[in-house]
Amino acid sequence: MYKNIFKYDDMKRAEHMAVRETVGWYLFTHQIMEVTGPDAEAFLDYVLLNNIATLVPGKDRYTVMLNDKAEIIDDVVVMRREDEKFWVSTLFSMPMDDWFYDHQGDYDVDWCDITDEWHMFSVQGPKSKEVIESLVKDSIEDLKFFTHAENEINDIPVIINRTGFTGEKWGFEVYVEEENTDDIEDLIRKACEQAGGRQVTDFQVMAWTLPTEAGFYYMRDLKWRNPFEVDLGNRINWEKDFVGKAALKKIADEGPSYEMIGFEALDDDPYIRAMQYGGPGEPVYIDGEEEEIGRVAKLVYSYVKDVNNGYIYAKKDKLHIGDKLKIHGYDCVIVEKNWLK
Amino acid sequence: MSKKIDQRLPQNSGENSGLNQYYAIKTPWEKLIGYKEAMHYANRFEAVLSTAIMQAYRILIPDYEERTELMCKTVMDWQYEKSIMYGLTRDYQLNMHPFMCGQFTGALVGDEGDDCLLMCGRVQDFGTYRAEKELDACPWDICGTELCRATTRSLQGQANGAATRRRPGPTMDYAMVEARGAGDRHCRIVAESREKYPMPERKLWEAFGPIATADQIKYTVEEDCCDEPMVFREECDYKFINGTCSVDESAAVNMVKMSTAGSLYLLPAIEAGIEKGLFSREFAYHVVSLCCEGAGKAMFGEHYSIQACRDYLGVPNSIGKDGRILGGLIELQLQSVFCPYEVEAFNENEVIYVIDRKGLQLVSAKTLPDCHFWLWKGAVKTLVDAQWMVWEEDSPEGKMRIKIAKKIDKFQ
Repeated sequence: MYKNIFKYDDMKRAEHMAVRETVGWYLFTHQIMEVTGPDAEAFLDYVLLNNIATLVPGKDRYTVMLNDKAEIIDDVVVMRREDEKFWVSTLFSMPMDDWFYDHQGDYDVDWCDITDEWHMFSVQGPKSKEVIESLVKDSIEDLKFFTHAENEINDIPVIINRTGFTGEKWGFEVYVEEENTDDIEDLIRKACEQAGGRQVTDFQVMAWTLPTEAGFYYMRDLKWRNPFEVDLGNRINWEKDFVGKAALKKIADEGPSYEMIGFEALDDDPYIRAMQYGGPGEPVYIDGEEEEIGRVAKLVYSYVKDVNNGYIYAKKDKLHIGDKLKIHGYDCVIVEKNWLK
Repeated sequence: MSKKIDQRLPQNSGENSGLNQYYAIKTPWEKLIGYKEAMHYANRFEAVLSTAIMQAYRILIPDYEERTELMCKTVMDWQYEKSIMYGLTRDYQLNMHPFMCGQFTGALVGDEGDDCLLMCGRVQDFGTYRAEKELDACPWDICGTELCRATTRSLQGQANGAATRRRPGPTMDYAMVEARGAGDRHCRIVAESREKYPMPERKLWEAFGPIATADQIKYTVEEDCCDEPMVFREECDYKFINGTCSVDESAAVNMVKMSTAGSLYLLPAIEAGIEKGLFSREFAYHVVSLCCEGAGKAMFGEHYSIQACRDYLGVPNSIGKDGRILGGLIELQLQSVFCPYEVEAFNENEVIYVIDRKGLQLVSAKTLPDCHFWLWKGAVKTLVDAQWMVWEEDSPEGKMRIKIAKKIDKFQ
C-alpha cells in the first residue's frame, strides 16, 4: 500500500485551492513562435486546424496542429498581435520549427522562436481580476476572455492576456520581457499575498490537477489522438485547406473509434499506472470480459471534490457515465470529465 | 482456457517503428541476429566487461566508502560539466518546459537514458518536489553496488546542470533506495526536495538513502513487471514516450554504444585515482588488464558454454577449434556497438581485425578498447585452446590491429 501522492499533500492542496478560492500565481512561461509576413495568416490557417483568418488583432485562439494522419502533434494558443504578426504559444517549439519548415512551400512567411525574450506569469482565481487591476496602469475591466492588450505595471511594459489553464472564470497571463521578470514577479507576489493568495510552485498542480479538474488536456493526453476523440472536432472549417484534412474528413465521416472519458478511482490510495508519467498506461477491461477496451491516460486528484480523478482513452461507446469497473484491482466509476460543475 | 498471449514481438515488428532501418547483425557464418537481440547482447556483454573493470577498481581502492565516494564525485562533476556544455539541446529534446523551475527536470534525463539502455520500468511520480522511477531490469546489475550509487550521483549532476538553465526552484536530492545490484527486485530512484522534505545531509557515496517519503513508494509486483523497454513493446507502439511527450524510436537503443558502466563510471574513476596519486597509471592498468584477462578466461571455462557460443554464432560443424570462433564473437560485439572494423585475415590459421579504436571507446574512455582486447586475450584460451593467443601488432594510427593465431610465449 502506498500513500496517495496527491490526497494527503497539504502543500499541493493549498496551492490548488488558492486558485479555486482566492488567487494563485505562478511562472508559466511557454515557448513562443513569432510568425510574421504577408502570408502569416494563410500559413497558420494551413498548418493549424481551426480558423486563424477570423482572428482579429488582440484576440487569441486555442487550436491544434495535425499531421497527415490527422493525429494531434501539438496544441497551441495563437495570439494575433498585429495583422501580419502572430504569437504561437507552444511547449514544443523545436519540432514546430521543423514542421513549419516542411510545410512553408510558397507561403511568404517567417518565424522565429522568441522564447528567451519573454516570461509569462499566470494569475488565476476569483481574486485575480482584483490583483491585476491593482497592478496595471490601464484598467482591464473590458478585457474579454481570450483577448490580450499591452499595458504597464510600475512603468514596466507588459502584455495582459485574459486566459488560463485552470477553468477559472477569471484568470490572466502577464507577459514580461526577460530583463524585467524579477521586478514583475515581486510585484505579483506582493499583490497576490495582499489578496490572500499564494504562489503555485508544483508542476503537478499547474499542469495536472488544476486543468484536469476542469476537463482540460495536457499535451500528453492529446498526442497522436485525432480531434474527434478528444472533443476538439467542433468548429472545423471544412472549406479551408489544412494539413491532415483528408484523413480527418474520413474520420468525421466514419466516426472516431476511440474517445477520452472521465473516471474516478474510489479507493483512497489506488496504484493505477497512467500515461501522464510516460508509458502505455494501465489496461482497462470491462469486468468479466477479456477484451482490453482502453488505457488509463491520467489519474490525479480533484481537491475540490476530494476524489481521485482522471481520463481513460477508451474504445468508443464501450464505457458510459455511471459504469463501475475495476482497474488494476481498484474500484472505479465512469463520470463526466469536469469536476468543477 | 485464457486468450492471453504471452508478450512477444509480432511478425511485422518494426513496421513504422524504425526497426526496419536496422539490418541484423551478421556473423561470419551468415547467421543473422536481430537488432533487438543484438542490443541486449551488447549491453550485457559490456556489463560483464565493466564488472571485470570494477574488480580491478576494488583491488586498487580496497575501502568501499573511499572508492565509491571517488566514483560518485567523478561522475557527478563530469555529468554536471556535460550538462553545462551540451544540455541546452537536451532540454529541448526532452521537452523540459520553460516553466519547470529547479532541479526536478533532471529526472527526465534519467528516464530516457534508462529506456535506451534497456533498463525498463516506469515513472511513478514526477513533480517539482518529488520524482520516483522504478526499474524492473538492469543489465548492469552484476557490476556492484558502488556503480548503483554512482549512477544516482550521475543523475544528480545532470539535475544540477539542468537547473542552471531555468528559473530558480527547489533543489532535489536523488537517492536509489532499492537497487537490483544490491539484490532488490527493482531499482528505485526517488528524488526529494530537501526544502519540502528535510533530511540530514549525506555523503556522496551514501546514495542509497534513507529518504523521507518511503510511504509514497509505488511498488510493482512481479506479475506486472516488464522485461523490455518501451521501444520494443507493442503496447507502446514501439516508441518511448515520457510525460512531456519526448519521443524516441527504436534507433535510440543504440545509446548502448555511447554509454557503458566501464566507460562512464569506472575508467574515469580509475583515471581520477591516478590523478590524485592514489596509484600509478602503470600499476592501475596492470591490474585492470589482469582482471579483464581473467574474466575472459572464465567466460568459457565451462565446456557447455563453448558449444552454446558456437550455436549462437551459427558455426558449422566443419569448423574446428581455431581462432575464427573468437573472431566471430568479436565481430558480433563490434557490430552490436556499431564499431567499424576491417577483416584482414579469417582462416583456420589466423584471424586479423583492424578495429577503429574510437568506435570502441564508447563515449570518451580511451582505454576501453584495451579492456576489450584484454578480455579477448583471456577468452581465446578457453573458447579455442591454450595454444592460441590474441595480440596487437602493427596497429595504424587510431586503429587496433589484433591477431588471433597460435603462439608460444614462455612468460604469458
